[in-house]
This record gives sequence, C-alpha cells and structure tokens, in this order.
Amino acid sequence: MSTTNGTTAAAALPTYTKKDFESGVDPRWCPGCGDFSIINQVQKLLPSIGVARENIVFISGIGCSSRFPYYMNNYGMHTLHGRAPSFASGLKLSRPELQLWVVTGDGDALAIGGNHFIHTMRRNLDIKMLMFNNRIYGLTKGQVSPTSELGKKTKTTPYGSADYPFNPPALALGAGATFVARSVDLEGAHMGVVLKSAAEHRGSTFVEIYQNCPVFNDGAYTFLTEKAVKAEAQLRMEEGKPLLFGKDNRKGIRFNSQSAELEVVTLGEKGAVEKDVLVHNPRRDDPTIAFMLANLSNRPGFPTPIGIFRAVKLPTCDDLNWKVINSAKAKHGDVSLRKFLSSADTWTVE
Amino acid sequence: MNADPIGVLTGSHYLDGDHSCSEGAIAAGCRFSAGYPITPSTEVVERLASRFPRVGGRFQQFEDELAASIAVLGAVWGGAKAVTVTSGPGFSLMMEHIGLAAITECPVVYINVQRGGPSTGLPTQPAQGDMMQARFGSHGDYRLIALCPNSPQECFDLTLRAFNLAEEYRVPVVVMLDEVVGHMTEKVVIPPADQIEVTPRRYTSKKPGDFKLFEAAEGSLVPEMVKAGDGYRVHVTGLTHDERGYPAMNVVAQDKMVKRQFAKIVENADKIITFEEKNLLGAEAVVVSFGITSRIAEKGMQLAREKGAKVGSFRLITAWPFPEKQIIELSKKVKAFVVPELNMGQMSLEVERLAAGRCRTIPVLHAGGTVHNPEVIAEAILEAVR
Repeated sequence: MSTTNGTTAAAALPTYTKKDFESGVDPRWCPGCGDFSIINQVQKLLPSIGVARENIVFISGIGCSSRFPYYMNNYGMHTLHGRAPSFASGLKLSRPELQLWVVTGDGDALAIGGNHFIHTMRRNLDIKMLMFNNRIYGLTKGQVSPTSELGKKTKTTPYGSADYPFNPPALALGAGATFVARSVDLEGAHMGVVLKSAAEHRGSTFVEIYQNCPVFNDGAYTFLTEKAVKAEAQLRMEEGKPLLFGKDNRKGIRFNSQSAELEVVTLGEKGAVEKDVLVHNPRRDDPTIAFMLANLSNRPGFPTPIGIFRAVKLPTCDDLNWKVINSAKAKHGDVSLRKFLSSADTWTVE
Repeated sequence: MNADPIGVLTGSHYLDGDHSCSEGAIAAGCRFSAGYPITPSTEVVERLASRFPRVGGRFQQFEDELAASIAVLGAVWGGAKAVTVTSGPGFSLMMEHIGLAAITECPVVYINVQRGGPSTGLPTQPAQGDMMQARFGSHGDYRLIALCPNSPQECFDLTLRAFNLAEEYRVPVVVMLDEVVGHMTEKVVIPPADQIEVTPRRYTSKKPGDFKLFEAAEGSLVPEMVKAGDGYRVHVTGLTHDERGYPAMNVVAQDKMVKRQFAKIVENADKIITFEEKNLLGAEAVVVSFGITSRIAEKGMQLAREKGAKVGSFRLITAWPFPEKQIIELSKKVKAFVVPELNMGQMSLEVERLAAGRCRTIPVLHAGGTVHNPEVIAEAILEAVR
C-alpha cells in the first residue's frame, strides 16, 4: 500500500491563489443558489492550509451539492447517491496522507446515506464532510428531505410533512464525530473561520451549512439571516467566550443546574449577570453540553447556534490502523518464506 | 512483472477455497479489502484481516455491502489493488457499485461465494443461481469478466488472474465460487513469487494537461490511469462522461463511451476466455459445466461411458465473456449439449442460444442446496446420445 506518493514537503509548496482551485468549468447551479457562496469560501480557504493541491480530494455523492468536485481543480470523485463517505473511507484507509473533503446534501447524507454517515463519523477517520442543508430535494425539483420541517408542504407532501426532521449536528454528535460545526451560506466570514478550523481538525469532521435553495425552498433561513432578526436569532458560539446573543449581547444561555436544562436569561433582569452565562468550550470530552446546544436549533424561544459545537482530539482510525499494521510487520517480519529458506548456508543442487 | 515475494505463501498447502482466494489476492498484490460478514464467504476476509497487516495491507469491515463495495473503489483510485467478498444477498447490494466500477473503468475484484436463493435462501448451502446476475445485475449496458473456479487450487489461480484481468482491461472482475468450492479443502500449490506473473496498474507517462483519464491508450481500447496525489487534476463520475471524465450528457458521448467499454471486452474475448476440453474427439454429446457441478459431471460422464455413451466435456472457466465461438463450433459436431447447473436454467440458455437448433441442448437443472446426483447427469447424457 502506497503511503509515500504525492506528498510534498510543506517548504516546497507553491504559493497558491484562489484561482488555482477553480476548474474553469462554469457552475451549473441556479442563479442565487447558496452553493456559490460555499464554493467561494472553500476556494478562498485552500491556498492557506499548507496542503499540496494534488493531495486534496473532493468526493461527492448525488444532488446539487455533489456537482462541487466538477468545479474544483483537485482530484475529484463524483460517486453515487449517499455513498461518498464510504468511497472516501476506502481512499483514506489506503492513502492516509491525502486530505479528503466529502461534499454532500441533506438528502444525500441523511436519507440514502444515513447509515454510511453515522458509521463514518463514529470511526473517526480523518475525513471532512460539508453538508449543504437546504431542507429540500433540489435536483429532483422539490420533494421532502430528512431535514424538512414538520408540516412542510412539498411535491411529495402536498398536505404537509408528518415526519419529524433530523437535527444534523445532534445526529453527528450522537454518532461520535470529533468535530461538529454549523455555518450559514450568507455569513461568508463566519463560514471562512469554521472551514479553516475544519481543515485543521484531524478526525471525523462534520460541518452543516445552512444553504438557501432559491428555487425550491426559498427563504428557509430568513428567520436566521434577515438583518432585523439576526441578532436575536443567531447564537454565535466562540471558544472561551460566554454564549451571549441579542441586541447589544444582552441575552445569554445559562445552564440551570436545578432542571438540568439550558435557558435564556437577559442580563440585568431577575438578577442575571454575565458570569451566570455558559462559557463555550467545544473541547469537552463529554459531548452532552454540545448536544444540548445543538438541540436549541429551531426551538421556540431560543436562538439557533452557529459555530463549532465540538472539536476534540482522539486518535483517528488511520492512526490506530497503521499502528496495528506496523506492529504486525515488526512481529512477523517483512521477509518472505522463500528468502528465509534460501538465506545463510543454502545451495542449489543442479 | 513478478509477484512481490512479501506475502506469497510459496509451497504446498491444505486449504479451503475461501482461504485460497485470500492467498490469490495477496499474491496478486492486493493490499486493501473491505467487507461485510456473510455466509459462506466470510472466511475469505477473515484470512485477509489476519494476513494483511503482516504484508502492509488493510482490511476494514464496513456497515454493509453497499459501503464495502464502494470503499474498494475509493482504495483503487488511491492506487491500491482491492477486493470485496460476499454471497447472494450482499451481491445484490453490490450491483450499484459494480455499475459504477464499469462506467468509471475501475480495476477491482469482487468475489461471490454463491448460496441458494432467491433472497436469504440457503445461507449455508450451494447454488449457482447468480450467474446471470453477475453478467446483467447492475442497470444499464456494460460488460465485465466473470471466472468460475472448481477447486481450491483454481480459487488461488483465478483470483490471481482476476486481478490481472482487471488491470489489463480496467474492468470489474467477478470470481464466482459456490459454497462447496468455497468450503472444500484440497491441496493448493502456490508457486514461488518469481514464477507468478502479476499485471501492474498501467499509469500514464503523459504529463498533467496532456493526459485524459478516459481516452484509450495508443493501440489499445483501454485508457491508462493516475492516482490521487500524482499531480493530475482528474474528475471521475458515474455520469456519462467525455474522455477527460467531465459529464457529457448527450447521445454522441453516450454512444462513444458505452461502445468502447463494450469493445474492450468483446474484441479481446479470445484473450480473456479460458476453458477446459476433454474427450471431445468423436463425442456425440458434450457436457458443458462449471464450478462444483463440473466435478459432479465427471462422475456422471464416467457412469454414462460405462453404458457406452461417447461423451466429452467442455468446462467453463471464464463464464463471461462466454466462449461463443467454441460452443458454436461444437454444436456443428455433436448430437446434444448436456448442461447441468445448480439453478433453474441460466448458462444453459446461453448454450441453447448459440447452438441455435443445430443440436439439442438438455439442461439438467437443480434448485440448489446440494450438488447433483451424478446418475441424473448420466441419464441425461444417455438420452442425449440416443
């Protein structure tokens, strides 16, 4: 198994620009699609991460988001519906030095690919998954998805969906992902920061990106992105900082130790002060608080968290595997039986 | 080139067919396998899981056969030789990725240890009911190669050959065992590494920019490859694509892509097809058989000869592509073909099609669960020569 090919010493890396990561093919996404903003952020990020262009692989499944590798100037694999994480797993296990990005959507990752998704997360393979969540099937023109909200009217749920949706970060946390984050297509600067952290993380990396589908689910995230409501609706999680939000950061998230729940407090009201507010720590081994934060999403009376829920260091599946291989090789020796038999005092009878 | 001596278990062994497949894969240079446990095939990956780390290889158990059968494709595009192993129900799940391997021309080996079906069927008992599925199971039009070992020795030989053929033609190759061949234990001779011919992956010598991943190499129908990290910007897709690998969803691109992918098998069929002929001189009937059924047919032929039948044998080693020319030629010389198989008529349909009425085709069918009674085959032979 080759582990040496294609690696370029960091010092020898050429200076890349954003353009080096553009394939030159014009994206065929609808005008106004959130995917444009995401690919723009990814292409802006890649020159700065210190990885040789040819060592970066983009792998996708099927759906609008999955056209992504076509527009990137890297090694691109456009695989099958839901299966990108499994394809990526095979590639990563055989070539651990490559940096793998899986680009997927809510239908691709969580419906047809749900099983592969959770198992890829639990293995802690060093794979970065970007899930564009538009809460609809866009490529097939508007059917209910596993993240469509309860009551959603779509072409296949004309009377409203009776299915409860997945909460993707909560699902990823439950599956054991070591990096879980969320950003929004319209928040370019925020997404850039989240993506940079994702690029730096080693292990199963899940980033949900709220992405507007202007044709089949327009306005899905206006509750979060409209100027008038943004401050109240977004909870920006930043490591080491109190979880404050609202106009002038007057509100905060407090852990109520009596009810063991998160609650919203307004600073200065009912005796609430800033030191009561939970300080964000995505590096806790225990994912419980991260899970509680993930579950605030779309909950009446609560802001929707964006940023990094969890970022913990654990040996990756690759690390553990190669340890096994190296110890087995050392124990059994890299010597063939024939070489062994014909070594030392042996001769051939003609 | 010769096999890498690391991992080649040169010598005489007492091995079952499943384990012999594992050794064939290792000798071929396979260093990655993904799988999901399923009877009666699991022994193949169990042995790989134990043997691989010592030779620098890696086995990963996946969440299902869907994942396993596409993880191997990921490993191949990273430069590894890879195999996945399954039986009927898992083979059904893998059809999706056999199609992806076909359209992306990905050299990979699938091993199917057949058991009784349909559905869950007979997990621990033999059948040969997946022969047409191996050929046609994934949607759309494609051609692949399928091989049918009839002994643990051939499990080694043909698994090795499967890897070589996969590299030669950039196609998925399926090794079609059955439960009996997989579980029978016999002598297996593994030659020294310097006597084992291994086909390396054909990487291009063209520069990035000049190289097209799906353009047939000069004087060939088969394109060369690159692997991730070699500095080539490539795009691989399950969509109909042009020579660069970019989606090209139009009639011209479809026609060109599908026809070349067919041609690389059809036009090379004579080089791919292998078979075993015995006692054909003066034969009035020919038994066409494969896998475990060919071993039972030997006894059937012996019984029929004792009663005066002039019978010869034609054993399929390559099931797909099918030895069309040979069957057509034989059909001009004999009274009948006798085709025993552990299914309700699959390869016998192919024989009958090619015989085209020039001689009779007598299928000897068995729904599976055990092997034929040789006397039933003998009776069919006697009827054939009557």
